Amino acid sequence: MNQILAIAWREITRLRKRFSGGASPLAVIALMGIIALSSYFLQDAVSLGSGLYRVGAFGDAPEITDSRFSVVEVKSADEGKALLDEKMIDVFVNGAQVNYRADDKSQYAVKSLKQYLEKQELIRVGNSYEYNLAFPLRVGINYLPLNRPAGQNPQQETPPVDKPKETIIPSLTPPPAPFAQVLVALLFIMPITFISIFFTSSFMDEKLNRRLTILLSAPVTPFQIIFGKMLPYAIFALVGVALVAATTGGKILLSLAIFAPTILFIFAIYLMVPLFYRTFKDTTFIAMFVTTMTTAYLVFPAMFTNVNDVSYVSPLTLAVKMYRGESFGWREYLFPSIPMAGIFIFAMFAGTRLLNEEFLMGYKPITQKIKDAIYLMMARSKPYIAVPLWSLITIPAVYMTQVVLLAFATNLPSRLILGAVLFGSAMIEEVVKSAGIIALAEHRVITSARSIFGLSFLSGLGFLIGEKLLVAISISMVSDARVSGALFGAGLLLLVPLLAHFIFTSITTILTTKLKFPYWLSLFIASAVHFVYNFLILRGS
Amino acid sequence: MSSFLTVIKKEIGSVLRDGTIIIAVLIQLFIASFSSALLLGMLSLYDADTIMKFGGAGIKIGIVASDDTLGSMMSERGLKVFHYESLIQAEGALYQGKVTAIIVVPAAAGATSEIQLYLPNSEAFSSLIRMVIQEPLKQYENHLRAQNGIDVRYADLQGKPATSFEFVYSVLIPLLMFFPAFVAGSMTIDSLTEEVENNTLQTLLSAPLTINKIIAGKIAAAVIVAIVQCLTWLAMLQANGTVIKNLIWVILLALIVAGLAATLAALGAVFFKDRERSQFVYSLALLAMVSIGALLNLSPITAMSRLAIGDPYVSGWNVAVFAVFLAALWALLLKASRRLAV
Repeated sequence: MNQILAIAWREITRLRKRFSGGASPLAVIALMGIIALSSYFLQDAVSLGSGLYRVGAFGDAPEITDSRFSVVEVKSADEGKALLDEKMIDVFVNGAQVNYRADDKSQYAVKSLKQYLEKQELIRVGNSYEYNLAFPLRVGINYLPLNRPAGQNPQQETPPVDKPKETIIPSLTPPPAPFAQVLVALLFIMPITFISIFFTSSFMDEKLNRRLTILLSAPVTPFQIIFGKMLPYAIFALVGVALVAATTGGKILLSLAIFAPTILFIFAIYLMVPLFYRTFKDTTFIAMFVTTMTTAYLVFPAMFTNVNDVSYVSPLTLAVKMYRGESFGWREYLFPSIPMAGIFIFAMFAGTRLLNEEFLMGYKPITQKIKDAIYLMMARSKPYIAVPLWSLITIPAVYMTQVVLLAFATNLPSRLILGAVLFGSAMIEEVVKSAGIIALAEHRVITSARSIFGLSFLSGLGFLIGEKLLVAISISMVSDARVSGALFGAGLLLLVPLLAHFIFTSITTILTTKLKFPYWLSLFIASAVHFVYNFLILRGS
Repeated sequence: MSSFLTVIKKEIGSVLRDGTIIIAVLIQLFIASFSSALLLGMLSLYDADTIMKFGGAGIKIGIVASDDTLGSMMSERGLKVFHYESLIQAEGALYQGKVTAIIVVPAAAGATSEIQLYLPNSEAFSSLIRMVIQEPLKQYENHLRAQNGIDVRYADLQGKPATSFEFVYSVLIPLLMFFPAFVAGSMTIDSLTEEVENNTLQTLLSAPLTINKIIAGKIAAAVIVAIVQCLTWLAMLQANGTVIKNLIWVILLALIVAGLAATLAALGAVFFKDRERSQFVYSLALLAMVSIGALLNLSPITAMSRLAIGDPYVSGWNVAVFAVFLAALWALLLKASRRLAV
């Protein structure tokens, strides 16, 4: 523990030196200025289509200040109509009248302008008339149970009209749109990502000036080094989350609880960057990639808050619920948090195994580096323990990749989505199950066809146990478990899927190691077989 | 000149050899398709017109009212409306699944009237219903205003839903044209600071190369990589049926902005000499420039949207403005570049 704290303190000192000197107060002021300025700018530019349309206004028309419209000065009604005909403007507001053309752009402009003008009219009407005359409609909103309450007689009982839940004025109360709350919840991710980038570059910096090598020869374990270096940044990230919660009116403690696993998850992913990069450009690209993927994983499910229970795979959903003042239970909390914590543990394990000079400094193709990493993670245990364990503990990562895949596939034409997701998922599973065996075979740890078959079986077994555990959690949690069931190829009998996993894995491993097929080809063949199997299972259910 | 070309060739060669540029291309593809998926997803979930087009038929409204004004406004929108004598009857229909929501309109009394809306106690479905009946309710509100002698203008304008159109020209095209520029800047920093931190810059300088040639070569390489990506995106967009006007100016603007980003990044590298701080300051400076540009009404994003859409008031002059900025930044870099060598 003391060592961890010592390394953490050293990290803070390092950071302070990095950003110190006479310029630092100035830098802080500049930073604040830029953030204030950009938030001001962003506020103005959130509307889609900034500066797209040209509008002419004449006579008693409201002033048009919407960022989508640039106003062209018009001196007479005839001039306005002429400009419209020459396509120099898209819409012409002529007092209470609006002129437009039949082409698409003009039609789009009218629709957008209508939204703006309606708001302006409300302001005008509200200012010039008495409130009750200007807003004459009240709508009381009541909720009825989905089924008739037991014991209620349909003929006699008077309906429950106590007091409406809320009363709204339609023109002043837009219908509830969860999108805004998802955006607010997204604010939490920004400081976490930002801080984790500093964590990464600190690691890189020490790798570059070989301080890491010195540290590794000191009497501290790789785990203590990683954890100690991570600690200050994790605390900064927690402070960032608390600050965001405080400024956006969220509950601070609840936000910390929601985002603590997310912080671990993002740090875990960013820990991989300094371990695997070879040149500076690698870092930039890998970091960008990681940021995009994690954001997609976190944001995409949250879009479906209250629409589909699958949204609970993202902790942002919990944050959205927090902002809406809705409650959620332990199971809803653990559902997104456990896979994230799982990834963190996996990454810490990988980090401690990979943090050695030979692995860090070698320049090899990235695929070779990944192969080496898998080998290093398994090398210290017996293959028949390492292989099934590997399949078991990579399940959270497989699961997350499949969610990202689903997000990506929604762009495809709708008839291709299911097929693409099924094939992609099969491929990811086959990669995970076969990678360890192939890494071991390449280092000649295993050679005989018999042991390859045996390990393929164990790998399939490990994976099956993992996926059944996960499906069990999702079934207890998510009512619409058919989706996750389909993704993970849940069959009813356990023997059939076990046999299936064994066959698919053997195809990849034997083709690659014994018949010397290229890995991608054997992987493709196994994935295709797996895909057909999943497809038939889905058909059957 | 040939030494300058050698630097460019070496840079591009290393980008191709590392293979990680593929990740950058994938990211752009992902962001572009992901954001459009999000938008279309949002549309189908939260836009009344789209809901009506797809699942709106499932929504059936039971109305208890003495006159048919609100009911007919709803039917005009394509909603199925059923009339009932009393709330008890309507409620019975709701529990039998004949209607999904109930509206009770009492006879008008005085200036304001209060109607009651009964929704099923399921949040997802009831918010869907509220979105769909929002427009008819607003229309009814205007009808009541008219009875109070208040005329509301512009209420019956139509037009076509513009969200997709606005997304393509104001988000997607600028995103695809400027993201490569952002990458170009990062690449320039990586490449320059790597030479400094690995102490290889001094070796390079002992070859017949000036520091300015090295920097210029690295910037040029980054810009070439960026513009190749832009051209690919443009070809894909056009193959997808997106009309892009002023193609030459669009490409030129993308080129200049990539140059701006790379030059700005090189300036950062010259001042800080290490990757960590340079990247940090570069990102902040970029953010600041975009903000200031927006405040001064000189945003390359708006210029790009307008060029692509064929706005009649935007021309090569709007592109030339950014070229002036580029020249100024470049001059600054030439002045400061010697700092890198010491």
